[in-house]
Amino acid sequence: MQATKSFEQAFLKQMLLGIQLSAVSHTTGSLQERKSAIKLSADVAMAVARGSKKWTRGLIASLSKEEQNRSFLQFVLGKEFERPAKICHSSWKIPRSKNIVRRSLRFLSKRQSNIRAPNSSVLAGTLVEKRTQVLKRLVPGGESMDAFSLLDETLDYATCLQAQVDVMQKLMTTLEASKHSRRADSDAQCPKEKFHLLAMVGSWYSTRKGLRKRLSKRPKLTL
Amino acid sequence: MSSRRPRSWQPSSASRITDEQINDLVSKLQAVLPEARIRRSDRVSAAKVLQETCNYIRSLHREVDDLSERLSELLASTESSSAQAAIIRSLLM
Repeated sequence: MQATKSFEQAFLKQMLLGIQLSAVSHTTGSLQERKSAIKLSADVAMAVARGSKKWTRGLIASLSKEEQNRSFLQFVLGKEFERPAKICHSSWKIPRSKNIVRRSLRFLSKRQSNIRAPNSSVLAGTLVEKRTQVLKRLVPGGESMDAFSLLDETLDYATCLQAQVDVMQKLMTTLEASKHSRRADSDAQCPKEKFHLLAMVGSWYSTRKGLRKRLSKRPKLTL
Repeated sequence: MSSRRPRSWQPSSASRITDEQINDLVSKLQAVLPEARIRRSDRVSAAKVLQETCNYIRSLHREVDDLSERLSELLASTESSSAQAAIIRSLLM
């Protein structure tokens, strides 16, 4: 993944949007609820900012398994979320004919009957097997990936996770810093999109009534 | 040679994945990992890279978790105008 900076910005925007959307729970919920809301915003933001990858689809799928996440996901993802076939397990290509299925099965069984020769390839060994199984559980959607895709997706996932952590840390340090200082910053020089973001954040602190009104202005989703 | 690879590494599709491609991915993964853990620049076993990757991902998960908690505490207690300013500042970085 090359353009980390643009990913970070997209992630931040999405996350702030998400935080705003779940703002209702921010003043009323327990610590655990608030934390889960933030984490959900962060994860969804990461998946949305990255776009369509196997792990992002796997992540959305696993998030949608929990009842309390569904309305948030539906709101953020809209139509994308309503088509579960698209979001669930990602790496299977549906065979188009019986012949293809038969041929692949024969091919696979032939390979599986081969005896493993010791340590002649970089990937040989049961240790690699074990680690691969662990990795499959760590990477979202990993269970249904073949090992090569797993490696590729892991690389992408780790990079995005790191960026997620970086942005969240930056957000936190600036919030902490501004909490202790009383300066009022002038916004005169801000470009357009920052104004939009300012507006988003500003409305976050508006009343529940205001938030509901704003939410109702968004395009209606078909249920 | 496909016979030398453990079962799970044999691709499920019919396409041939070369050792070179796999090596390439493994070394890219190694490059992503925090430097302190793997000092040698090459000749690190794939198993080691995978293990370190698992550890790394787990630690990143924990960090996100921790940051979520701290962020939620912070957001609940911060004032609106200062938070706006803070977010603008963080965008500028």
